[in-house]
Amino acid sequence: MTRILNIELRRSAALGTALILFVTGVLLLATDRAIFTTGWIQLAMTQRLYLAVLWPLALAAGAWQASREHRSKVAELFASTPRPQAHRVLPTLIAMAVAVLSGYLTMGIAGGLWIIGTAEYLPVAAFAVTAVGVLALIAAVWFGLAIGRLLPWRVTAPALGIAGMGLLLLIPGATRPHGWLALVFSPIYEMNMPGAYAAVPGRASIAQTLWLAALAVTALVLLASSGWRTRMAALLPVALGAALAITVMPHQNRFVNDAIDPVARELTCTEDAPRVCVSRIHSGLLTEVTAPAREGLAVLAKLPNAPTTVHEDTTIYFPDSYPPRRADTVLLDVETGDDAHLADRTDVWMKVVAGAFASPPDCEMSVDPADRIAAAHWLIGSEPAKASEDFEPEDSERAVQLWNDLRRLPADKAKARVVALRQAAVNCTADIGLFSKSTP
Amino acid sequence: MRWLTLYLRSRRVPIALATAGGCTALMWSLWSAFSDDRTVAIPMVVLTLLLMTAALTATLSGPDDALDKTAAFSWLPRRIAHLLAAFLIVTVVLLATRATGARFGPAWLVLRDAAGLLGLTALCAATMGTARAWFLPLGWTLVAIITPLPDRLAGRVLTWQAQAPDNTAAAMTAVLLAFGGLIAYAVAGPARSAPAEAAQH
Repeated sequence: MTRILNIELRRSAALGTALILFVTGVLLLATDRAIFTTGWIQLAMTQRLYLAVLWPLALAAGAWQASREHRSKVAELFASTPRPQAHRVLPTLIAMAVAVLSGYLTMGIAGGLWIIGTAEYLPVAAFAVTAVGVLALIAAVWFGLAIGRLLPWRVTAPALGIAGMGLLLLIPGATRPHGWLALVFSPIYEMNMPGAYAAVPGRASIAQTLWLAALAVTALVLLASSGWRTRMAALLPVALGAALAITVMPHQNRFVNDAIDPVARELTCTEDAPRVCVSRIHSGLLTEVTAPAREGLAVLAKLPNAPTTVHEDTTIYFPDSYPPRRADTVLLDVETGDDAHLADRTDVWMKVVAGAFASPPDCEMSVDPADRIAAAHWLIGSEPAKASEDFEPEDSERAVQLWNDLRRLPADKAKARVVALRQAAVNCTADIGLFSKSTP
Repeated sequence: MRWLTLYLRSRRVPIALATAGGCTALMWSLWSAFSDDRTVAIPMVVLTLLLMTAALTATLSGPDDALDKTAAFSWLPRRIAHLLAAFLIVTVVLLATRATGARFGPAWLVLRDAAGLLGLTALCAATMGTARAWFLPLGWTLVAIITPLPDRLAGRVLTWQAQAPDNTAAAMTAVLLAFGGLIAYAVAGPARSAPAEAAQH
């Protein structure tokens, strides 16, 4: 058995399949790195998203492998050997399963090497998401083998691959408005663009596991069968698996999209003052954030009642949840860039300074962005950039003008206006701008 | 006429045509059933084209290519005619759907992708053998459909199948592939199969 398996691993389509899955997967990961660099769960979910290509390829690979005997014209010869069909296909089954498993996992390792320096938080869900991905590929390659044996034609393999992708593309539309049904049957559904605090609830993974395992069992029954009666029996596991999976999956749309990992969102802080805190998912970036954030706090120290700590802005929407606002805390957006390190490192201290002039999110009279930029740059002592990714272009332009107006004022008057703006921001009374009548 | 009938039969053209037509009909009815929109989404159009190309791939070689090569006439014009006929069939069938309830288009995209995919398949058949000729078109197209279209020239060339019909870089890539495949296949014919599969059909 081991000897045949070894031969099968070397001489079947297994090696090529693993290689193709790995290369395609890495190419896909490389096209948009910012999606998965945040952390391990994001990497696992992005791998699942790219099953959109890998899953059809596994189907096609299985069907191609199954047509080997037909292509070599030995099907009849092999059928005459006194061994049961199940015996003969077992090594191929194992070899192909090992192939897709190693292809998928090495793709994950390649992505992991990219983020290993900064990704620290490793939730159990990341393993569950990857395991479901592997199971999806094994089910696909076995199903491909089964179909390829039933229909040993040249067009079967490519047609099965195309049908697989067509299926994945059509599932969301066909199940609308019951998004949870798509989540049961499509391993790629709701895996796109995971947020920083993304989570995949265990029940979703369990339901998907049930369905995919049923698909794999069906493929095994089809492969071991020789008559039409047993082939019809193969419908049983599919029906059973689908029913079970539908029962287990919560009947709730956006089940994965709305899930939030509260542990990933908790703050981890520096030991020494002034304190800088980031969420656990970004804990690997803490040292990179700390230095520029403290520079920003040092600039702000000119103000009375200056803020003394910087926290990551852990706001989430649907359902909305805001971090507590305190006058001594500046909230800062932390994002991971393409290179798995802090994005926009040079802008962090400016963002901290501008963050001191931000109002609470539920505030109806929040500070005008142009005022924020102008006040922050007056404190820093440099001209605002004419274009910035964080603000609208017209805000940036107005900010330059406001900044020039501030500079023309005597220093103490300008400072009074900036201090008043900060007060207005904290108290949520910013119906007044930097240069409106009621400011001194 | 006699030669043509025998040729079509040896290349299993009727079954390939039936498969291609059946697949298109299936995609057409799937779209009609699941979508209210009359214009078929671009990924589905590209997948249908890929499916038709895959169905016609098997006709690129006969039961015994080595025997074919010994024929006392020139294969070059016949191979060119074969590819052109395949291109005509794919495009005419898909463009005919524009008069129906589920329209596969736009026309330029259908023409570009049919030419490019058939060319790529012919190129692969001439280099890797007909049995493996679908590997690259399938893998490449699936990736191109999924990845967001990048702005850079390399990105537009690499995802030419899914680019907008008026994209010059994508059109140039398709034309290059089409002519490359046409010339390679017309001159060299399908690649000889590996010895273990010499008896395949």
